[in-house]
Amino acid sequence: MATNCLSLQARDLTRVYRRGSEEIQALDGVSLSITKGEFVSFMGSSGSGKTTLINLLGCLDNPSSGELELAGKTVFGHGQKLGEKELTRVRREVFGYIFQNFYLIPTLTVLENVALPLAFFRKPGAEEEVERLLKMLGMEHRMNHLPGQISGGEMQRVAIARALVNRPEILLADEPTGNLDTKRAGEIGEVLTDLNRSSGLTIVMVTHNPELARLAGRRIEMRDGRAFEN
Amino acid sequence: MRFVLTKILLPVLLLALFTTSALAAVGCDLNNPDRDVPRLFPESTSFKTVYVSIQKLGGPALLKKIENRLGAQSIALYAPVDVPYTLYEIYKDKKKVGYIHGVNQKGQFGGIQVFIAQDLTGKVKTFYLQKITGASASKFREAKFARKFEGVTLKDFDHYDPVRGKGTGRVAEVPNPSPELETDYYGILRGLKKNLVLMDEFVFAAERAKP
Amino acid sequence: MMITPFQIAYKNLLRKKVRSVLTLIGIMLSTWVLVSLFGFNRGYETALNRDIENMGYQLMVMAKGCPYEAATMMLQGGKGLRYMDQSMVNQITKEPEVDKVTPILMQAFFDPNKGESGGIAGFYGVDAHSYPAMKPFFRFKKGGWFKDNTADEVVMGYEAAELEQREVGDETIVPEKNVKLKVVGILERTGSQDDGTIFVPLKTLQKISQVDQITTIGIKVKKDADITSLENKLYQLKDVQVVSFSQVKQTIMKLIATARVMVFSIAVVALLIAMVGVINTVLMSVLERRQEIGILKTMGAMPGDVFRLVWTETLILCGLGGVAGIFLAVIFSRVTDLLARSILPYAPKGGLVAIDLKLSLLTLAIIVVVGLLSGLYPAWKAGRIRPLESIRGE
Repeated sequence: MATNCLSLQARDLTRVYRRGSEEIQALDGVSLSITKGEFVSFMGSSGSGKTTLINLLGCLDNPSSGELELAGKTVFGHGQKLGEKELTRVRREVFGYIFQNFYLIPTLTVLENVALPLAFFRKPGAEEEVERLLKMLGMEHRMNHLPGQISGGEMQRVAIARALVNRPEILLADEPTGNLDTKRAGEIGEVLTDLNRSSGLTIVMVTHNPELARLAGRRIEMRDGRAFEN
Repeated sequence: MRFVLTKILLPVLLLALFTTSALAAVGCDLNNPDRDVPRLFPESTSFKTVYVSIQKLGGPALLKKIENRLGAQSIALYAPVDVPYTLYEIYKDKKKVGYIHGVNQKGQFGGIQVFIAQDLTGKVKTFYLQKITGASASKFREAKFARKFEGVTLKDFDHYDPVRGKGTGRVAEVPNPSPELETDYYGILRGLKKNLVLMDEFVFAAERAKP
Repeated sequence: MMITPFQIAYKNLLRKKVRSVLTLIGIMLSTWVLVSLFGFNRGYETALNRDIENMGYQLMVMAKGCPYEAATMMLQGGKGLRYMDQSMVNQITKEPEVDKVTPILMQAFFDPNKGESGGIAGFYGVDAHSYPAMKPFFRFKKGGWFKDNTADEVVMGYEAAELEQREVGDETIVPEKNVKLKVVGILERTGSQDDGTIFVPLKTLQKISQVDQITTIGIKVKKDADITSLENKLYQLKDVQVVSFSQVKQTIMKLIATARVMVFSIAVVALLIAMVGVINTVLMSVLERRQEIGILKTMGAMPGDVFRLVWTETLILCGLGGVAGIFLAVIFSRVTDLLARSILPYAPKGGLVAIDLKLSLLTLAIIVVVGLLSGLYPAWKAGRIRPLESIRGE
């Protein structure tokens, strides 16, 4: 298998937090690889380390030890730490993120929110993505609405469009349906499955919702900072 | 401390000084009120200087009314409607006992400043020419002439016209002490009438209006 | 369809309208104070120069111990007048710096019918030709100058005419001497001591007072001539004193310096208050948006991008507030003028507050620079926000 088929490869990742004099081992040597096009879900109780892991996988944080390779290139490893700028560079090339709380900017319209990342970083042809994504996610009729005027499910769709506008390789979803009712959560699940199947988007998702987790092709259970594959 | 004195107190003092002096520089004032008031109103113990303007009291309508009462061009006010008139309110202890007020009136060789002290009914108590220009003008400033006007009221001008110099009553009977200066003689009488009319409008009309 | 960082910043300010507007008002008010102060700083000196220009002459020469001007002379009851020979005029005319010269005779007469115990009437004897040439800006309300130096005529300043109730054609009299003169001209108000002056032809006044000398010489200096050098030469003349209006101006400017320092401190305080206001507003809005800023970072915004975004907000606030303040200052410059007049020991005529485009731009630049300095810390703080702590920080 060629390395470029491997989206993410983690080796023996650990993360230790310090709270006062107490050390908390949030992640205790996790190794896993995620292949391009996979839809992976992480489940586990709070404190199980699932969020710490996804933050490391998404280059939002530096590990205490261990290595991470992205499409064959080492991001973390041999004890070196990346600065905020380097992390940002990696993130904007590779990742799109969605969160439980959507984090849309309330004074910008749906359209402007989706186009927002382009104000800072723009891959060639990204402009056309804005409308395509809005159409694909069924949001083009809401283009000129403000976030306060649309439903939670719609807000998450906008957030997804925003995450995808720079055509990332990997979509990181942190509790994407945590703030939605069952019906809307189901719809978002469908959207994610669809993106994974039709465009081959790699999705790494953390969730509490077993229904949503079941949609993922690969499910990993987190317990005490360790990963267990079912 | 020095800084406070020179940088803050001084400008504030200057401000206070210049705003008051700006106000005092208008109308017809007594040259030295502290000395003049006790002389013109012997029983006074204190006085208050107030500024009255036709603009504030009644505007152009009042100006028109006053000019009508004065009747003739030669007594006219020659002053814009917003010019403040200086009025001295006279007090004996805490009680108001009268007023002193002066006007400028045209004379043969210069302005004549006609001041009167009035009691609360409007009767002239003391008559004083603060300024009059001319060689034999001093005759008009003699006490003998001034005494002739003691007790005069505005009513005395009902039967006497100082413009034409015709009429009867006690004003008509005041002799001209300096017959060669006719203009000044009538100027003084006109100034007196103007003064009485203005005081009537400024003070006594309002008091009559009270129940 | 694209959105620029400027739009993001601008729209963010709309989020907390009241707060943004209050900050704007703060900036606007301090700009107002600042631009008015600058305007005053320049306008006052210009007006003072114009006033001195309106004196007609920059130097006065008079006999030693003689009072400067009519007002002082009257206060001293006409005593203390000293005379000098009229030939002095020719002597001074020879100096190369001198443009024009005019002889003046001040006289005071006792009028027993003025006030309780008599008063002083002052007359200003001037040359029928050279004096009007020095005061080309005099406007007559009615009439004009006397026809020659021996005419039995007077020209009255606005206030003098009002006090004496004179009109053109009326008679006036010189007290003590009982000489009758005819009023031939009444001047418009100038706002200077000329308003209270009665002008008489020089020869006429000399004849009335039986004096063939003069008290004062007014000197107009040539443009660009060295006044100081002329002053020094004049000091050498025997028994005369020299009054230089450039010295008078310096004295006045020294007096004004006090007021300037005070107003300037107010402006600095206003600027500091506005600055603290800006820091507060922008910092608050940064802290409130920690998570949003974190999200911007996950989207690929570099620390510099976020820094610029927040800085742009400051720039918009200061730019708008500054422009509004300048408009305010221009609109209310009359009010500022009146206020300044009430505070100042000496206020020249005409506009004291001169605000023009250059001055406005300068003030705007100062406000924007100060604003950008104030925005430095919040912007830096925002740039340093890390996505993880902000998103997971709740």
